[in-house]
Amino acid sequence: MAGRPIRVPAPAAGHEPLRGNRFPRALVSMLVLLVLATAVPIAGAAVFRVLALQIGEISRPGLVVQELRVRLDAHEQGGELAIGRLQVGAREWRALSLRCGRLRIDDGAFACTAARVDLGGRRLPVEADVEVTLGVGPVRVVLRLADGGRIDAALQADGRFRANLHRLTSPAAAAVLEPWHAELASRLRDLEAAGVLDAELDYRLGEGGGAFAQLRGRLSGGGFGRADGLLAAEGVGAAFAFEVRATGAAWSWSAQLDWDAGAAYVHPLLVEAGPRLHARGRFDGRRIELEAAELAIDGLELATARGVFDSSTRTLEALVVELTGADLPRIGPRWLAPLLVPANAQRLRFEGRADLRAELRAGRLETLGVELRGAGFGLAPPQGGYSADGEGEAGSGANGEAELLAFGPVDGLVRWSSRGSGTAALQVGGGRWEKLALGAFALDAALEPAGLRLARVRVPVLDGALVLEDLALGWSAAGWEGSGGVVLEPVSMPSLTEALGLPGMAGVMSAALPGVRLSPGELVLDGTLAVSVFGGWLQASGLRVREPFGVASHLTGEIEARHIDLAQLTETFSFGSITGHIDADVRGLELSSWRPTAFDARIASIEGDERRRISQRAVENLSALGGGGALAVVQRSVLRLFENFGYRELGLRCRLANGVCEMGGLDAGPDSGARADGGFAIVRGGGIPALDVIGYNRRVDWSELVARLQRVVAEDVSPTID
Amino acid sequence: MKFGSMQPRSLSGCVAALFVGLVLALSAHAQGNLEIDTPAISALRKTMQQRHAQLAPLYASGAVGIAADGTVSLRDAAAVPLAQRAQANAAVAAENADRAALYREIARANGHPEWEAEVRRTFAQRWLERAQPGWWVQQGTSWSRK
Repeated sequence: MAGRPIRVPAPAAGHEPLRGNRFPRALVSMLVLLVLATAVPIAGAAVFRVLALQIGEISRPGLVVQELRVRLDAHEQGGELAIGRLQVGAREWRALSLRCGRLRIDDGAFACTAARVDLGGRRLPVEADVEVTLGVGPVRVVLRLADGGRIDAALQADGRFRANLHRLTSPAAAAVLEPWHAELASRLRDLEAAGVLDAELDYRLGEGGGAFAQLRGRLSGGGFGRADGLLAAEGVGAAFAFEVRATGAAWSWSAQLDWDAGAAYVHPLLVEAGPRLHARGRFDGRRIELEAAELAIDGLELATARGVFDSSTRTLEALVVELTGADLPRIGPRWLAPLLVPANAQRLRFEGRADLRAELRAGRLETLGVELRGAGFGLAPPQGGYSADGEGEAGSGANGEAELLAFGPVDGLVRWSSRGSGTAALQVGGGRWEKLALGAFALDAALEPAGLRLARVRVPVLDGALVLEDLALGWSAAGWEGSGGVVLEPVSMPSLTEALGLPGMAGVMSAALPGVRLSPGELVLDGTLAVSVFGGWLQASGLRVREPFGVASHLTGEIEARHIDLAQLTETFSFGSITGHIDADVRGLELSSWRPTAFDARIASIEGDERRRISQRAVENLSALGGGGALAVVQRSVLRLFENFGYRELGLRCRLANGVCEMGGLDAGPDSGARADGGFAIVRGGGIPALDVIGYNRRVDWSELVARLQRVVAEDVSPTID
Repeated sequence: MKFGSMQPRSLSGCVAALFVGLVLALSAHAQGNLEIDTPAISALRKTMQQRHAQLAPLYASGAVGIAADGTVSLRDAAAVPLAQRAQANAAVAAENADRAALYREIARANGHPEWEAEVRRTFAQRWLERAQPGWWVQQGTSWSRK
């Protein structure tokens, strides 16, 4: 009866399986002939309809095919090829079948074309051509993927395997991989891998039986994204080549990567195309050893690395990275600022060059060495800083703005270790703190795993110096903390006032601040800052800087001034002329961006001066500061008759809060010194001619007051008197 | 809306000001002493209001969420275009630095620096309550869409 299948029995148990490379071509031919010969009489016709063939095992190096059944339907010119068990390398699959659109068997070879492929009962999204030449011939497989991709593979009898991957996309690859390697397929999907891969894989056995594999190709439009988005790439174009060679029990490998398009985000860094990588190493099945890697990257002369990764525990056992000739203006903003100070990355400026060597062990940084050459650093003012007059920002942070703090050029070495002490030895060529230029200084510090200790650093400031003594700083997650002492060696007031753009003053400024403490958000300067000025002295104490360098940076303290010569003071500020001496106390002073925002200040004349005179212009200025509320209690005509007037005492109080100065005068309690008409005496006359200056406006807008004072001082214009 | 622009459209600008204003105002009501205003606090408030224009679209897309500890968190960076992810991270870091400073300042302005943690907790609750529908908020350790 036609169509009856004819079976060639599988080799009996215990039989030597038919080894492909020793499989006698003649035997196959004979088997096929035998099948044909048997078929004809049974079919009872000249041509058979269906032919079935069964082979127990075909074995090649790295490949085992068992329970191979071939069924040929002569009428349909089709047939089926089924493999009970397929083993490639260490992996195996069962129940693989190809339903051939066309199946041809002749002379020990069969070719199955346009086949649908099922694995374990599931249809794969590919169309396959398989051509097997029994004996010494090759096995060829062509897989056509759903979206136009194609895999062309050939396994030679000598074990050489080559595959060409044409336009392989990630979804197609995942669909094909699904039944073969579900874990890899699902990882591809989870990462939303994208891109088109063209590659050639070549695998062969070397002379001594050692295997060699090479994969080279190109990825276009590649990308992936981890679910949290902290690791992702887009539009990646890269050429790559990997080589693996068996050397004894281990493998040696090399890799080359040339990344020429797209970008990646490796939290918190945006990395753009350009890097080229060469790497080589060994692999013993567990540990991946990186013997040498060279990375070419913009802004670096050379980057090398070596290390060991344990693939079973997924730990980085060791890694040594050396970066040579880092160009800080290019490397700093892109790699350093986002890692070190993400909140202020835009405000940092970098200059110069650096070399770096880092050693990691068990995934943790163990040593770090940095050599700086002509390096410079600058911190721009924050955006949106406070300004007393309420008109916009204190600084925009744009280039060209005066920086809050800058250092450079800096040369020297920093050596840090997580397990012991390190050192920093830096020569700083100079710097700038706001308007103050800082001179050259040496910075020698002992480094600890989470801190540093400075024995003494002397930073020249104008003709004096700022000396940091026994400063110990520690780093924790909350920020920097530490303590030490600061001494300001005398700075002459003429040079200081000139540098700050203030009217010139005589005298010197010095400070002894033995109790300096830094904590997150606060710098406490316990001690005294003293200034000898205007024939008397002034001292500031209880100084605290809050949120230094932040948008809300402010300074608080107390000021006490004694025996200030009004003649010098008024001359310095072109305020007219007043003779005599005063004491002043400023309590609860608070400055934001160096502008007063709160204080309680009192000025009072002191006993003992023989001549107390106040000039006409000073009277006018004092009156004007009161904003029309203050009045010289003399006739205007009288005022103009005399150049100056005698006075007995002088007193003024201003309590600033919320932008309003609450004024008071002599005997300056808020209510004392009050007159029946609601005014308060600022100057009480005495001698001839004498006059009183009376204020009537107890609440004065501070910014208005400052603006008036600036007009009086700067423009040297006599204000009008109502 | 285009992310990263410092020039908010008028509507988003208003929403930003309203949101930050409301949270600050309501926090003040929650505990009278939180109303305290100093130049430092108003400077912080101002930069936070300006930054809100940049953060609002990130809240809306779910990229950034209102965390339970009074900070904001880059909880789904994938919702931000790749090229702007670093910028978004910088905005989050800057916002958190300002928030930490704000909590410290309010505690200090009250004369009780040790209240910082309490101020932070109160604010955390208010930020959460004032979050717009659709924004992601964290309660305990889990995130949910409001």
